[in-house]
Amino acid sequence: MSWETVIGLEIHAQLSTKSKLFSGGSTEFGAESNTHVDLVDMGLPGVLPVANKEAFYKAIRFGLATGAEINQVSSFDRKNYFYPDLPKGYQITQMTKPIVEKGSIKVSTDNGEKIINITRAHLEEDAGKSIHDLFEGETGVDLNRAGTPLLEIVSEPEISSAKEAVAYFKAVKQLVTFLDICDGNMAQGSMRCDVNVSIKKSGDKELGTRAELKNINSFKFIEKAINYEIERQIRVIENGESVVQETRLYDSEKNETRSMRSKEEANDYRYFPCPDLLPVVISDKELKEIKDSLPELPEQKEHRYISEIGLEESEAKIISSSKTMANMFEGASRKTDDTKLVAKWLVGDVSALLNKDNIEIDESNLSPENFGKLIERITDNTISGKIAKSVLEEIWKSGSDVDNIIESKGLVQIQDESLLEEIANKIVGSNPNQVEAYKGGKEKLFGFFVGQVMKETQGKANPKSVNEILKKILG
Amino acid sequence: MDKKTVTTISYLSRLKLDGEKEEKITNDLKNIIQFVNQLEEVNTSDIEPLTNPLEKTAKTRDDKVTANNLKEELLEIAPSSNEDYFLVPRVVE
Repeated sequence: MSWETVIGLEIHAQLSTKSKLFSGGSTEFGAESNTHVDLVDMGLPGVLPVANKEAFYKAIRFGLATGAEINQVSSFDRKNYFYPDLPKGYQITQMTKPIVEKGSIKVSTDNGEKIINITRAHLEEDAGKSIHDLFEGETGVDLNRAGTPLLEIVSEPEISSAKEAVAYFKAVKQLVTFLDICDGNMAQGSMRCDVNVSIKKSGDKELGTRAELKNINSFKFIEKAINYEIERQIRVIENGESVVQETRLYDSEKNETRSMRSKEEANDYRYFPCPDLLPVVISDKELKEIKDSLPELPEQKEHRYISEIGLEESEAKIISSSKTMANMFEGASRKTDDTKLVAKWLVGDVSALLNKDNIEIDESNLSPENFGKLIERITDNTISGKIAKSVLEEIWKSGSDVDNIIESKGLVQIQDESLLEEIANKIVGSNPNQVEAYKGGKEKLFGFFVGQVMKETQGKANPKSVNEILKKILG
Repeated sequence: MDKKTVTTISYLSRLKLDGEKEEKITNDLKNIIQFVNQLEEVNTSDIEPLTNPLEKTAKTRDDKVTANNLKEELLEIAPSSNEDYFLVPRVVE
């Protein structure tokens, strides 16, 4: 029997505000435990939450960029449950009137582009952090994260494979980082997701019973957890049993999902409107200001790179794939006229170095200015492309200035044609056998002569000049 | 409203009710709901739900950090804590 997979994602993106959603507590990551806790975050009696306007603006940026409807009047609800890292006993979220509804995002899949619809994106507060393994018989609670604003982005169940789920997550991550509303740092938990997975017989209209996989925070684990879960559900159904609607935890060490059902007994969040918070209204003027301040988005960048700069589609795709790559390209392009060469180097040698070290470009020693200067030194014939590679490697190690490296290592290209002619004549003169063979028709030997001249000049000769001079000498 | 619902609600609210109390509360809740149910007689199909009786909209804040580090004071008022964390009976993951 063949099965179809139906997947929906709930992505939690931590909004990059300075302060929390309802208090003036700091959202800084990595602070000493319990130092960023306001009385509101503690849920002490008598305190009242006041909503952070910037969190709304950031959520609206996401809504506008996904072509969604913006609810200019949105309200907050309480989601009730007990857990030690949730001091109030409820989480403030937007159940009935979320700030953003009905958007969509374009995702690149193996079968081409696909539109995934976004049901809603709502604001809610994060919980604190429980530390289970540090203290004998007790759990430690750090409330620094409690109250941090999250945008929960809920997709329609329109994703049909683990790979597609990863592609969707990547597209959302790319968008939120371009919009500057979330730093996208998955290792620090700035983006995490819950995955709803179900299977149905091919062609069936009705959805199967779904399982929810909680709190996955890496691309690799999303793919693995979904694939494991699909296999598990097929096994369950083919054994004549049925899938239970439940929350499951993905264990990355064992690569399996486990039921969390014992904990979730009689789960009922009893949502109701939060009486502490009035509806938040966004004016037409505010909405327009946010609209006008939206940056150029990845897709627009890609189109512009192709149509205005004349980059290859593949190059434009790679460069617009992340904000840091696009910044490197655009920054370097300000230092040189040959933007196509900037692109070629960025996609080629620079990307190769990034892959080798497995880092993002903003983690490297290469600055946009220095990179632009490197390309400029190739185009103004100060150095050859070959030398430029070694300069790039030097920058990669030390971050030194291009001109300093060229000068201190004596890498300036030999422009003096008579000097090159002298060297070329010497090479030709000391290799009579090769000359004879070349003249006898072994044209491939031309490369040998070029190589010898380059070796003699330690790569500092301009390859174009060398070619011309050798052609003249060898006839 | 029956005894089973009351048992579930008391579990969700982490309130422990003994047999006698449970019966009394079941009856009380029945009466309350019956009373409130009179509202069902009013046709509300064209009326927006009222999320807050004040019928006003919220004042919001600018994104500024205003909180001080209250770590010591807050840990001190907790029933149990050490120098870094609030401590609770172990929650098993």
